[in-house]
Amino acid sequence: MEEETNTAHLTDPELFSLAVPPVGEPEALPRHLSECQACSRALQEWKGAVRALAEEETEPIDRRGPAEWEALENRTIERMRRAGRTGRGPAVKWAIAIAASLLLAGLLLPARKPARSVPVVQADAAGLSTQDQKDDALLRDVGRLSRGEDSGSWSALAPEPGTATSEEEQL
Amino acid sequence: MRKIVSAAALAVLIAGAFARAQALDGKWWKSPRVTADLNLTSEQSAEIEKIFVRSREKLIDLKADLEKKQLDLQVAMDDKTVNRAAVEKKIEGVENARATLQKTRALMILDMKQVLKPEQWEKLVQRRQERRERLQDRWQERRQMMRENERAAPQGRRPKG
Repeated sequence: MEEETNTAHLTDPELFSLAVPPVGEPEALPRHLSECQACSRALQEWKGAVRALAEEETEPIDRRGPAEWEALENRTIERMRRAGRTGRGPAVKWAIAIAASLLLAGLLLPARKPARSVPVVQADAAGLSTQDQKDDALLRDVGRLSRGEDSGSWSALAPEPGTATSEEEQL
Repeated sequence: MRKIVSAAALAVLIAGAFARAQALDGKWWKSPRVTADLNLTSEQSAEIEKIFVRSREKLIDLKADLEKKQLDLQVAMDDKTVNRAAVEKKIEGVENARATLQKTRALMILDMKQVLKPEQWEKLVQRRQERRERLQDRWQERRQMMRENERAAPQGRRPKG
């Protein structure tokens, strides 16, 4: 159900800029965003994809093996594709570039590992238990929901500029 | 409407009080890197785990409650014959549920903070802030590159859909 509006839809770069605004200077939301449900949803999808990337780059990063990195790359591309709509060449290019950099980081990190102290490596190898992983996901969801960053939020159709920086707060 | 404002004000107050701790998502006390960095003892880690376990069931319930209320609201908003008063009630429900979740989480974090020494807490918050800033820098770089890319090859806007 897409609403008719007087202005053209937001482009990928515009949506990306809204999803990842500059620090301390949130961009003014285009009026079109509050009138067009399709673009509002697209923005939420972009934010979700960006947030997922932020989460993937965090804590468990050095516990991944090459296969997991490959799966991450595929998931990232798939997310960005889902977020994209027609005529989104640059978005796919970006997804590939980001996924490639993550893959590269995944390959380089294990090589840097021996420089670390032995106790840390041993502890990393232990990893989190299944219950810990569930708890970890719960805590992240709770943090996101309590900050109103969820895509299902009633205000998501016209998000406040200040909330757009929330992706960077994910660990 | 007053109830919504009250719930929102409560959420803002709590969020303000814990602004520096906003990034404390996830089970950080189980991260080997964090525990090593903070010199977290096994006793401290166990105590923090106990605090979390005490709150876990409530967090699960409150999260589910908020999600259900969000779904109800979404259904009401999507309804072609939308009833304004009913939607207002549902918005109140969502924001009250969010405030309750926020309060429970904030109190849990407060209890966890009591287990840490002040310098450990400062370090934890500082590390999270540093990580956030690094992430922001990366996003900014990408954004800048994207803008340059757009300038180099202007992309046409999509037709009205």
